[in-house]
Amino acid sequence: MDAPLLAIENLRTYFYSRARRALIRSVDGVSLHVAPGETLGIVGESGSGKSVTALSAAGLVSAAPGVIGGRIELRSRQARRNLLDGLERYVRVKERDGRIMAVEKDDRGWRRRAETLMKGVRGKEIAMIFQNPRSALNPYSTIGAQLVETIRLHTSVKGEGEARERAIQWLERVRIDSPRLRFDNFPFGMSGGMCQRAMIAMALSAEPSLLIADEPTTGLDATIQSRIVDLLAQLKIETGITTLLISHDISVIQRLADRIAVMYGGTVVETGRAAEVLAPQAQLRHPYTAALLASVPSAEAIRRKSYLQAIEGEVLDTIDVPRGCRFYGRCNRVTEAIRENCASLEPPLGEVAPGHKVRCWLYPASGKA
Amino acid sequence: MRSYVQGPASVDESSQLPLWRRAETMDLVYVGYGLLVVALVLASYLLGALGWLPHDPQAMNVGLINAAPFTPGHLLGTDFLGRDLQARLILGIQAYFLPGLLAITISVVAGSVLGILAGYRGGWSDTIITYFDNLLDSFPRLVLILLVIASFKPDIYYVMVVVGITGMPVIANLIAGKIAFLRQTNFIEAAHALGLPAHTVILKHILWFNCRAALVIQATLGMAEAILVETSLSYLGFGVQEPTPSWGNMVQAGANYFLQGNFWPSTAPALAILATILGFQLLGDGLNNLLEGKRGK
Repeated sequence: MDAPLLAIENLRTYFYSRARRALIRSVDGVSLHVAPGETLGIVGESGSGKSVTALSAAGLVSAAPGVIGGRIELRSRQARRNLLDGLERYVRVKERDGRIMAVEKDDRGWRRRAETLMKGVRGKEIAMIFQNPRSALNPYSTIGAQLVETIRLHTSVKGEGEARERAIQWLERVRIDSPRLRFDNFPFGMSGGMCQRAMIAMALSAEPSLLIADEPTTGLDATIQSRIVDLLAQLKIETGITTLLISHDISVIQRLADRIAVMYGGTVVETGRAAEVLAPQAQLRHPYTAALLASVPSAEAIRRKSYLQAIEGEVLDTIDVPRGCRFYGRCNRVTEAIRENCASLEPPLGEVAPGHKVRCWLYPASGKA
Repeated sequence: MRSYVQGPASVDESSQLPLWRRAETMDLVYVGYGLLVVALVLASYLLGALGWLPHDPQAMNVGLINAAPFTPGHLLGTDFLGRDLQARLILGIQAYFLPGLLAITISVVAGSVLGILAGYRGGWSDTIITYFDNLLDSFPRLVLILLVIASFKPDIYYVMVVVGITGMPVIANLIAGKIAFLRQTNFIEAAHALGLPAHTVILKHILWFNCRAALVIQATLGMAEAILVETSLSYLGFGVQEPTPSWGNMVQAGANYFLQGNFWPSTAPALAILATILGFQLLGDGLNNLLEGKRGK
């Protein structure tokens, strides 16, 4: 594997629940790598911490305490730095039995330092697209004006007329019909899919090294969703952009991702090449991945009129994280031989095949307890 | 026979029409009337500057006191010193306009700054500004103005500074509320994600794109307010001082002769005040419907 463009090491992003006076461990020690030109898909249920991981990487977590530890190494041509460099001195954690019980964070100091580190990175090196594209565009400004603004801010194109031409080119590249007319449209005059295309144009027009797509198809009509996925696939071929794709929709991940990370309860439970992890006959997989895949309606299942398989139980409450495996409470593959381990010890992320890691006691390859 | 349904030429035809074609007729009438008033105010400055007044507004004619309207040479008659009412009426608005602009500028600029601090930064700045707002709101404005006049001098500009400061909380609340609303929408976060610097987001995306209409509306209403305040002060004798004509002191001076049957020296400026305040109010109202209404749906 090439040196990764983005390497997230042991990232922890916590929030504070006022109602329950406890820490929410949204992202609890996540490590991810994205190689240049690669698309890494992060999949998981709502609340698994996948979006918060992405927001942390873009430095957009605003609630307290937020990011409290880890490394986010960006190695692009323009910027090589740890985006969390030297931030640990603003955080003091109180641990008990190896678990973080309380966090003290100098928010202002952290923010000032983080903004310095993010300068020239956010928007320029790391661009982001969101769900509900209509609300992500300023309703009072034309999409053309907004596109011109990012182009002039982030690229060497500074002239008004030149930036305008560049903007129209980008509208063309994201397959917006009659871009010259659309240039002067306001977001409310456009469909959701069209807004997402404009948003993608805006993100890519800065010529970033990394695109973070946070649920890019959520909130769109089903037919539009597949069009947007097609567009992202085409743009990936055309521009070779490195992408961190977040989605709860396995079919979207399947179409676009080269590698996959499955998240559950704030940790990565399985990671590997997409073809390998999602292969229908794969034996070595995390029970949670298996359950996720079983919950996707297949053509055959529809023909047989069988019921969809919901995953039993509820998404892990990341306030009361159990001692053992986070998926233990919902797992249907616990055997007597490993039950003790499952209930009391968190399994490590062990390699079951080259480049394919699973966090489960089922696989002895995952290491000793 | 087959018929084909002709699709619309463009998906969003209505939003591409010019503003005045999309608008309700009454709003256009309001705004039109308001703009007429503004035009008359500007015309007054022009006439004054060129000296094209029917008479010298200060020239007294003791032989022709409280002359009725349509007296030859005096279309609106004269006041209790025999000065031409028409000329004084034309110049009267000038007592308000620049001071009013000062008041508006103070309240809009300072109000915006406070609103941004409260809405964008939140925390302790929000708390302090809220207390400051409450303090200003709970203090009768006229009393505050009289205090300032008593400790400095009865100058209309001093008065308008107070009017400007007391007008700040409304604007600050307005902006803070807008920001609170805008922060829930994703596009401000998206703007940050695109790497736009904070001052661009605040000044351009929040203030210019999303608050300019509201600020213009508040400014027109503020002008109406400034006129009203001066009128009340003139009635107490603390407004614009004689011999400079203002509609307020004209009403006050004419009021002494009102019951003797000479109603016009105070009625004419009173009607002018009414028409002007109505003009600014309707301008604000109409602009509100034109600029803000369509997106409220």
